[in-house]
Formats: sequence, C-alpha cells, structure tokens
Amino acid sequence: MIPPPIIRFLEERANAGFAGTRDANLVPRGHRVSAWRVGPGGRTFTALLPDASAPHVLEALLDNGRLAVTLEEVGTHETYQIKGRYVSHRPVQPPDIDLAIRARERFVKSLRSLYPQAEAAERLGASIPAPGLAVEIEVDEVFLQTPGPGAGTRLAPPPEAGGSTA
Amino acid sequence: MTLTRLPREIRAALDNGVPALMVTCSADGTPNATVISQAYFVDDTHVALSFQFFSKTIRNVRENPRAWVGVTDYDGQVDWALDLEFERSETEGPIFDAMDMQIEAIASATGMSGIFKLRAADIYRVLSVSTQPYQP
Repeated sequence: MIPPPIIRFLEERANAGFAGTRDANLVPRGHRVSAWRVGPGGRTFTALLPDASAPHVLEALLDNGRLAVTLEEVGTHETYQIKGRYVSHRPVQPPDIDLAIRARERFVKSLRSLYPQAEAAERLGASIPAPGLAVEIEVDEVFLQTPGPGAGTRLAPPPEAGGSTA
Repeated sequence: MTLTRLPREIRAALDNGVPALMVTCSADGTPNATVISQAYFVDDTHVALSFQFFSKTIRNVRENPRAWVGVTDYDGQVDWALDLEFERSETEGPIFDAMDMQIEAIASATGMSGIFKLRAADIYRVLSVSTQPYQP
C-alpha cells in the first residue's frame, strides 16, 4: 500500500515524525513519534511512541482506531502522511530502541545544516523521546505533504481511485 | 501543568522559528497531522496559525473547529501542547502583515522562497495549554 519509493524514503531518509489521533468527541491530539517501521509490502506501518503518549493514544485507538502519521526529512522538507486503522500494540523491544537511536541521529545530523550553532541541533534533538509503545496500523492512504502546490495529493490509493486530499 | 491562558514562557517556543505540529479532525472522524511554519502569539487567549497550502486542515476546521498544536522550546527543553478552537480567518491587517513578514524570513532561511506564501492568518481561541518536559 505504501509505494516502494516512499518505503525507501521512510527507511533511509525520514528523520522526524508525529502522529494524530482523535477521541470519541472528535477532539484531535498530537503525539511525537520516536521512530517507525514499515511492514511487508507496505501494507502495515508501526509507529514507536513515548510512554508519556501511551494512555491517550491507546484510549483513542481503542475507541475509533484512526491514526495519522506525518513523516518528514527535515532539511529537504520532503514529507508524507500515512493514514490507517489500528491493528495492535505492544511494548517496544531492543530493535525498536536501536531504530529510534538511528532516527534521532538522522534528525540531529539534518539539523546541523539548518542551525549553525551545534548546541542548538543537539538540544532540539533531545525533543525526540525514547519510545515505549509500538502501535501497528493497517495503511489506508498515503498523501504527499511536501510544501508546495502538490501538498495534500493522495499517492495511494491513486487519486483516480476516489480523489482525496489531505 | 495545564492552563487556560498562554503564559509568557510560551513565547520562547512560538518565536524560535521551529515549525509547529498541528492535528485536526474531519467531521467523519479522520485525524489529519501536518507541519505548519508558524504559530503566532496574538494575545493570551488567541494564536494565529499560518494557512499556506494545507487544504485538508482548512476544510477540517470549518467542519470541526477543534485543533491541537504542538510547539517546542529547545532552550527550555519543553514541549507545549495547545487545544484550540477555530474562530476566524484574516487575509489583511496587522496580524496578517506580521505573519507574512515572518513567513518570508522563514522561507528565506530554509530555502523555500517562492514556495512558502501566507494565504491567511487563521485565528484560534486557546482552550487549554499544557507542557511536557523532554524525555530523551
């Protein structure tokens, strides 16, 4: 479901992510995403979230199952949004921690090109929390979110299959 | 800590040039997560968010006025979360002009000149504000 070029982007270049949920009253809420993992064939996606987000995320997902995750390569601004439905959750495992460490390293490296002061990049890098919860979703839609005239275009399923923007 | 007015300390997160995170929800219950260039302090009960190209966000807040915005103060090592309600959109006036000038500066600094363009300053009422210290 996630197109192969975007899977490669997510695995090799994306360096910042955050997720959106909503409660039973349609009140939205955001959550930092520490790292991510794409399932076989891009049909599922796992977001690694900090423990601090777990109560709100799980309450929302067990109520309605809806999750939106936006992933960006800070520096180039290339950005995609993945929308899907809750499948499962579990505590993070050592490979997840390693994934989060690598994502944070990519994030800090990209910040160094934007912030001349090395300390600013390191301090901003500390905003990425350690993960405690892994949430798997079934991917419904993928949108281009890179700033520009194409922002919001649905990439998967293709627009002609139903036309939608985010 | 949860407040109903914006404290002075939040200016460090609003004014540092770091993009803000925004979540909205459509009437059919689908959340939408996006990055926005700027969250602008209007007064202690209102912020203005830059409307540039995120059409789904604009549609969502017209259907369902609730929004969530996250900003970060990396010097203070704290995230701020704002629960908001959309009030109105402005396409001219002092708030629009000030945001337009800041967007131009952000665009220039990030290589996005000609792409970042302010279409409107959307004004939101602050319902609550909370903080979360970094947990690296």
